[in-house]
Amino acid sequence: METATTNDEQMVERALSGDPEAFGEIVHRWERRIFALAFGMLGREEDARDATQETFLAAFRNLRGFRGEAKVSSWLHRIAVNQCITRQRRAKVRGETGLEDEAEKNAAVFALPLDVSPARTAEKLERSVAVRRAVGALPPDLRQVVVMKEFEELTFQQISEALELPLSTVKSRLYTALRQLQMRLQKFGD
Amino acid sequence: MPNINERPVCHRAEDLVTCLYGEASEAEAKDFAVHLQQCDSCRSEFGVFQQVHDSMLLWRNEALGSAFNPAVVPVDSTVESAPFVQHERKLTAVDAVREFFSVAPLWLRAATAFAALLLCALCLLTVSRLWDRPVQFAKREPTKVTDPNTEPKYSQQDVDRAVQAKVDEIARLNNPKPSPKINDATTPRRSADIGDRNQTAVNLDQPKTPRRRGLNRQEREQLAKDLRLIPRDEDELPFALADEPNH
Repeated sequence: METATTNDEQMVERALSGDPEAFGEIVHRWERRIFALAFGMLGREEDARDATQETFLAAFRNLRGFRGEAKVSSWLHRIAVNQCITRQRRAKVRGETGLEDEAEKNAAVFALPLDVSPARTAEKLERSVAVRRAVGALPPDLRQVVVMKEFEELTFQQISEALELPLSTVKSRLYTALRQLQMRLQKFGD
Repeated sequence: MPNINERPVCHRAEDLVTCLYGEASEAEAKDFAVHLQQCDSCRSEFGVFQQVHDSMLLWRNEALGSAFNPAVVPVDSTVESAPFVQHERKLTAVDAVREFFSVAPLWLRAATAFAALLLCALCLLTVSRLWDRPVQFAKREPTKVTDPNTEPKYSQQDVDRAVQAKVDEIARLNNPKPSPKINDATTPRRSADIGDRNQTAVNLDQPKTPRRRGLNRQEREQLAKDLRLIPRDEDELPFALADEPNH
């Protein structure tokens, strides 16, 4: 997960020592993954952007509370997952349109390859909407594992570290999530 | 339909997902491949999970762009970085046409091709006409003088004669010849002698007739009466009015 010679923990130390560009470098390194995680969890681009922004804001505010024994990646992922869950709870309380309702709206703006027929394009869009709905219907603990695996392409070990869960728990959660997704997508196929 | 809350059918469910995402070691992968040949549930689940994985990848690529790689950090990105999702595709004209033809049905492609051919034909026709026109002008100018077929059929003398005839005709109509009776040797002279009043009276009778007709009897009688107003010798009258009351 390290993308530069200076690791994340060192960058946090530099940020704590007053280097104004150090935290920006952390954001630069992790914003894409955090956005992908938020998008997979929330299903809406706008919500994902907000959640990503709030994640890094929360990280910056709590920078001094960062414990050195955990990895920065785990720390950021936990913050991001909590942000996504909090946003979903708020949205549910407000009765806002959820992941499922926005799926069709966002499906129209997907960038698709040029060499596909209209029927094939429509089928792909429907399939994407179904997958999005199925992922959105997963419980949060299963959903975050699936999203971290599929969207962030993290290894089981990295997910285990980020979520501070045993490796076997991560795998069993992913297995359960895949089964639930398979059943929901099977309904779509029927 | 299986219950989603039930435990995995096979105890090697964790190995299944490990191999599914390619994180198993070589030895583990070989071992699980052997297991797949023996375990129907794992074999069917492996295939189904592979489809789910593909669907997830499809969704991710459509939502975040196929080029999205979460591990890659763009070199030129900043803290407030550019959006990840590429919604707008800036296509060139050729790409746009290609996309149009790729999504259009067959009949629409044929109609478009026909319309394009028709448009090209019209353009060619227009251009050819535009090219022909100045050439014709250039050729006509000299042929107007040299070509005997285009020479005028009438000579200048003929034209002058025709114009003169027309002028004469117009003049004849505007200035008609005086009636022979009016031009009589005696009557006009006398009319002039009578004065303007009589001349006006005569002109009012036939003001616009091109040719003066001869005086009828009534007119002659009236003229005779008028003449008597002037004292003169009755012998000078050109005719005798026997039935005149004062005679």
